[in-house]
Amino acid sequence: MSVRARPTSPHLQIYRWTITMTMSIIHRATGIANYAGMALLALWLLAAAMDQEALNLVNLVYGSWFGQVVLFGFTWSLVHHMCGGLRHWVWDFATMMEPGQREAMAWATIAASVTITLLVWIVFVWVV
Amino acid sequence: MRETVVTRDMVANPKTHYGDAKASTRHFITQRVTGLINVVFLGFLLFIVVRLAGQDRADMVTVIGNPVIGIPFAVLIAIVAVHMRNGMRDTLEDYFSGRMYRLVMLLNTLFCLIVAVAAIGSILKIVFWG
Repeated sequence: MSVRARPTSPHLQIYRWTITMTMSIIHRATGIANYAGMALLALWLLAAAMDQEALNLVNLVYGSWFGQVVLFGFTWSLVHHMCGGLRHWVWDFATMMEPGQREAMAWATIAASVTITLLVWIVFVWVV
Repeated sequence: MRETVVTRDMVANPKTHYGDAKASTRHFITQRVTGLINVVFLGFLLFIVVRLAGQDRADMVTVIGNPVIGIPFAVLIAIVAVHMRNGMRDTLEDYFSGRMYRLVMLLNTLFCLIVAVAAIGSILKIVFWG
């Protein structure tokens, strides 16, 4: 007996992957990442308020290659969430919602976030 | 809080005021306003991190201990905490309901409160006591 395929209901994988959908998902993901990342800032400030030894430990962890990778990701996450937020803010005025416009804004969001993050790290971390 | 059974008709009928119209509008506006203010926060954060990353305590006290920088930064962190709680709430509402939702929402509030108190407390300590 052959197994006949059963009717399938539409689910995520049958939809064409769109840039607006990707940016929507990334906006939420970066929001959650920023939420967790704020604990890193709080820890740094807490160590600075305590004493030099605690600060040395935080500097050691944040300055390690793994710490730097996390901080680079955190920078991009913050910048991307900001760009995404500004995009939503434009949409709140009920403009830029037409086909073409919204895709252009979505592409602009990712382009701006990557550019700004790289600029910040190149100028302030790798050069200075 | 008693669970009410939500039907399709209830959602479709505007007279039922499904959801909390006023609180939800406030949530929406709060999120936009705090979000815009967070652009300023990001500028401050960038300045402080670039200026102080890897520096000694004395340098951090010099920069953050300056009330002109420390106090606005502390206020901005409080606003960030509100944005964090509101934003996470949007996410939690999508995946949880009932008692589970109230539990994760409690944890959400606690996390934002702890982060805010730790960060703001540290800044104020540096500003006022060095």
